[in-house]
Amino acid sequence: MARIDSITVDIIENALKNIKEEMDVTLFRSAMSPVIREQHDCFPMITDAEGKMVVGNFGSHIPEVIKQFPEGMHDGDVIFVSDPYSCGGSVSHVNDWMIILPIFHKEKLVGYSSMFGHVIDVGGPVPSSMPVTATSIFGEGIRFPPVKLYDKGVLNEAIIKIIKANTRTPLENYSDLMALVASCRTAEKRVKELCERFGTDFYFEALDALLNRTEKMMRHLITNFLPTEPVSFEDYIDDDGLGNGPFKMKLTMWREGEHAYFDWTGTDKQSPGPINYYLSEPMFKMFIGSFLISVFDPAINFNDGFYDLLHIETPEGTLMRPKSPAALGCRTHALSRLFDVLSGVLAINSPESSPAAGYGTSPYFIFSGQDEEGRSFNLMEVMYGGLPGRPIGDGLDGHSWWPAFVNIPTEYLETYYPLMVNYYKTGTDSGGAGKHRGGNCNEKLYTILASGQVSIHDDREKIQPWGINGGEAGSSSSKLLIKKDGTQIRLSSKVDNVDVEKGDQILFITGGSGGWGNPIERNPNLVKLDVARGLVSKEKALNSYGVLLGEDLEVEIEETESIRAKMREKVGELQSFNFGDRDQTLVKL
Amino acid sequence: MYRVAVDVGGTFTDIVLQNEKTGEIYGTKTPSTTNDQSIGLMSGIKKVCEERNVSLEEIRSIIHGTTVATNAVLEEKGAKVGLITTEGFEQILHVARSWTPAPISAWMGFHKPEPLADLIFTRGAKERITAQGDVHAELDESDVREKITELYETGVESLTISLLNSYANPSHERKIQDIALSINPAIPVTISYDILPEFREYERTLTTVMNSYVRPPMQRYLTNIESKLKNEKVKSRVSIVRSDGGLMSIAAASSRPVHTMLSGPSGGVTASAMIGVQAGYQNVISFDMGGTSTDVSLTHAGNPKVSRETKIGVFPVKAPSLEVESIGAGGGSIAHVPLTGALRVGPQSAGSTPGPACYGRGGTEPTVTDANVVLGYLPPSLVGGEMRLDVEASIAAVNTIAEKLGVDVYTAAKGIYEIVNENMYGAIRVVSVEKGYDPREFSLLALGGAGPLHANALGKLSSSFPVIIPPMPGVLSALGFLQSVIRNEFSKTFINLLSALDEKTVIDELKELGDNCKEWLTEEGVPEQQRTIKHEVDVRYYRQGHEIPIEVWLEEIQEKGLVSIKERFDSIHEKTYGFKMDSEVEIVNIRAVALGEVKALKLPTNEVGSEDASDAIVDINHKAYFEKEFLNTPIYARELLKPNNKIYGPAIIIQKDSTTLVMPGNVGVVDQYMNLLIKEGE
Repeated sequence: MARIDSITVDIIENALKNIKEEMDVTLFRSAMSPVIREQHDCFPMITDAEGKMVVGNFGSHIPEVIKQFPEGMHDGDVIFVSDPYSCGGSVSHVNDWMIILPIFHKEKLVGYSSMFGHVIDVGGPVPSSMPVTATSIFGEGIRFPPVKLYDKGVLNEAIIKIIKANTRTPLENYSDLMALVASCRTAEKRVKELCERFGTDFYFEALDALLNRTEKMMRHLITNFLPTEPVSFEDYIDDDGLGNGPFKMKLTMWREGEHAYFDWTGTDKQSPGPINYYLSEPMFKMFIGSFLISVFDPAINFNDGFYDLLHIETPEGTLMRPKSPAALGCRTHALSRLFDVLSGVLAINSPESSPAAGYGTSPYFIFSGQDEEGRSFNLMEVMYGGLPGRPIGDGLDGHSWWPAFVNIPTEYLETYYPLMVNYYKTGTDSGGAGKHRGGNCNEKLYTILASGQVSIHDDREKIQPWGINGGEAGSSSSKLLIKKDGTQIRLSSKVDNVDVEKGDQILFITGGSGGWGNPIERNPNLVKLDVARGLVSKEKALNSYGVLLGEDLEVEIEETESIRAKMREKVGELQSFNFGDRDQTLVKL
Repeated sequence: MYRVAVDVGGTFTDIVLQNEKTGEIYGTKTPSTTNDQSIGLMSGIKKVCEERNVSLEEIRSIIHGTTVATNAVLEEKGAKVGLITTEGFEQILHVARSWTPAPISAWMGFHKPEPLADLIFTRGAKERITAQGDVHAELDESDVREKITELYETGVESLTISLLNSYANPSHERKIQDIALSINPAIPVTISYDILPEFREYERTLTTVMNSYVRPPMQRYLTNIESKLKNEKVKSRVSIVRSDGGLMSIAAASSRPVHTMLSGPSGGVTASAMIGVQAGYQNVISFDMGGTSTDVSLTHAGNPKVSRETKIGVFPVKAPSLEVESIGAGGGSIAHVPLTGALRVGPQSAGSTPGPACYGRGGTEPTVTDANVVLGYLPPSLVGGEMRLDVEASIAAVNTIAEKLGVDVYTAAKGIYEIVNENMYGAIRVVSVEKGYDPREFSLLALGGAGPLHANALGKLSSSFPVIIPPMPGVLSALGFLQSVIRNEFSKTFINLLSALDEKTVIDELKELGDNCKEWLTEEGVPEQQRTIKHEVDVRYYRQGHEIPIEVWLEEIQEKGLVSIKERFDSIHEKTYGFKMDSEVEIVNIRAVALGEVKALKLPTNEVGSEDASDAIVDINHKAYFEKEFLNTPIYARELLKPNNKIYGPAIIIQKDSTTLVMPGNVGVVDQYMNLLIKEGE
């Protein structure tokens, strides 16, 4: 067998990284759903011949899917899957469509490329196919177990016909599906070129070496940074939209030697509604890895190499491992909250080096109907909120915690959908006060210009995003329907098919985020700047930060110092975590 | 009569003089004057005139590439900008596109730069235009007057007006502009419709704000040039090079400086295209490798690609620019070994101070240049003898890496060399493969001081042959300026399904933009026979996110109908993404491009010599490290080479501004324009 040198490994790693980028570019440019191409809700991956991820963003599921094809894989096969229950949760709701493509070089299997993206509608009772009221996966639209979309290069037209008959957006879905295939084909072509250039033996050895590298790194991180004593952290999902909840998510973590254990025992039972999150173990391991590794070698490619060092326990029948056929459509809240919980549990022994909690979900605004010319429309917009105060500085106002997502331009919305945006800004005072301020939420007011239905997916309406290291908790989310006659109706954070008429308005307010560090340690000039920019009110500057600003917003230095001295006395020792009014809220619920 | 091109770089200002009659060119350098670039420009022009015994009156035109605008942004030295938006959208720059970087959790370390117009200096106008261009709410003029007055009282030096949907109807922006000028005519006002009448409010606002940000420093600079020329009684016409390689007048550059953000690099691209075409290669990928970064660009069929968006620092600016992919890999990039035991090169750079270890300026970290020294690719004594490289320092620096990797110093150096090549190869893929071009159908042209050292190796990676090393790779930008055409664009957003349009509407709209072009060409003084007007439409499948610009011809639309647009779009889409769709096609933007030809540059040819290049050898015993061993690698002097000379690799060719490496098994041939064409095998 060839012996590869470490530099060739680096070269192959760079090449794989470039391939991943090319996959993204191919998809963004040719897909049609705004959530994929404007908002980048998609995930590329390349694996070795056994299906271990060598580069990608989400952790491999290939072996589990492949074994469902007893006839094996052939050159020209393309697998399509959208059923979370038949791929170990690699896609976590039926809107995520995944393509897997075996790559053959000189008739030998050398790996797989895979890509999934969120398609806008897969049928079912509500547009965009994430019904808040679903009580099983059968109510969430069409579901594809692993099937061969192409069999030895031949397209299975039946699948296309079935897709088109089962969605409100046949053209978009077809285009997205073909774009996913095109993206995987890009990777196929490039991987074959790599095999040609280096020889398959060298290529395989390089992949092994890459897997070993992350393992080595993770071994180091685990033994140096994780505690041997178990520590636990809890956070909550407000409700499931059907009146149940709140739902506790509890994670316990400890280390034994070079191995780390993450245990979800203590997490609440699965929900009757669709907020369950079928947590894919490889994906969770990847989340943990990215959380830990990116600090030390940001240029690294994530891969499966370290997965044997991490042990995950997820009790069946819980929110994080629901039994089939539990509904999964609105799993985005638990998926996002997972990061707050993970960050919390890793922060217990060192809160100063961890961020606070953020808006904690991916809020959706969904608006559908027929415009005045009788054409149907279906908008799904991902919203953002406050990013938490962090060790390096303030949280960002109205930004995305999920990487590389972007907002939809108002001019795009107004061109293609019958609505007008009255304002789009961040909410003054919604970020928790802190030495490093928590980011503000988003506030967006829409005027509806054609009758239709609105659905809303959000969370953190009842339980606030927590602050850390002395920082305050951030604000909660809220939604308001303002009828054209002026009547105001409060909408809960999870509702389906609310009828709206021309002239009605929807006010969509997302969650803020927690602050980091004691607010009275914040530089008064920064507080002044926040007030001048309209991000913090004069009142909050005084009450939370102890900064008195004069008429012209100049800092009253002496008063500020004496106010802060009093606050310091009164507060005493600060808690590591500030959960806001969580305890009172939980009692009431 | 003569033409002069001036390229102001960080250290030197390059000047190229061309005799309009004979086409003969002559180049020289003078130190740049960073505080006021116009001083260096003027002394450079005088210097070149003195050296060639040309009087200042004989200079008909001066073509100037400037970095004033870019530097203002990168050094945060622009104006204090005020911004008027539509009420409710004041935080447009603050929220931006809500983007944070990948991978997951990377937001924790993300440093987001402050917007170029602070929220404190942003005000909302009470008004509203719809996406269809109708006035939904009338402008409250007295309110906006009050707000602008207030902004001006806080010391705002430059004002942007960018309202929602103004691309569809600029009337409110224009009214506010009049109001602002009536309050204080001395403060420059830029409205978004004039800079980028296209939809997507964030990008339009950002681009316009950037224009306002760089406008005062640019105006000061251009005024300085004009007064210096006046003092010297020079009556030449001065043209400023645009980011898309076109030329604009001083007046145009003072009101739209955002079009000059990539003025400098565009010269290199234009020059590459020209050199490629003259050498007989229409398809050229050029890469300009400097100290901290490498710019890669692509020329297809003799035409450099123009892109509609570029990045200045972290800001995505929507202004037509020659498409350049920039990566943080250069001669000064530092190699390091993180905990994982991988070898990484860059993005940190040693810059010019302390610079690579071999410069002997106190640098100790191993850079790409040091790797080249260790490998023997960069001989210790550069021609001209300006600087001697410290080989021992390079070896010591690279050794720190070798120890961590457990390999010898040469293997480590080769590793650094190959990894930086792989990074640059990634950028080549972005401009070629990702855009549907096969790099094997292109030749690779190296520019910048460091480019020719890596060009042959890079050409092998991308199979782009021949590899072209132009005669003066270090001063190519100025040469490119001489080739520039006078250029401007007029565009508008015109979102319509093809099926909902008739030929006449489309032709009329395009003609109207074409008329704007004619007017502008007249203003710029371009004679009729030198004018070209091209028409483009940006097209996509209905509601697709990304539009593709395609060129159209009015006669063709007249004859074959609008279906000709769909056909061309389908075929480009299929070529680029591997599929086309049975879907409606919509137009997003339409555009007319005005081109005014200037007299084409002809490079002189040289007398043909024999294949034998041995007369040019200056060191026959030099050795360099290739696959696991040192090979005899003779050093040639570029100035002694003659057309037809053949240089068999491995070989090194040295010259004042650059060093070229010919790889073992490859062969370099000198063409009649003194380009070195490196080909595979023999």
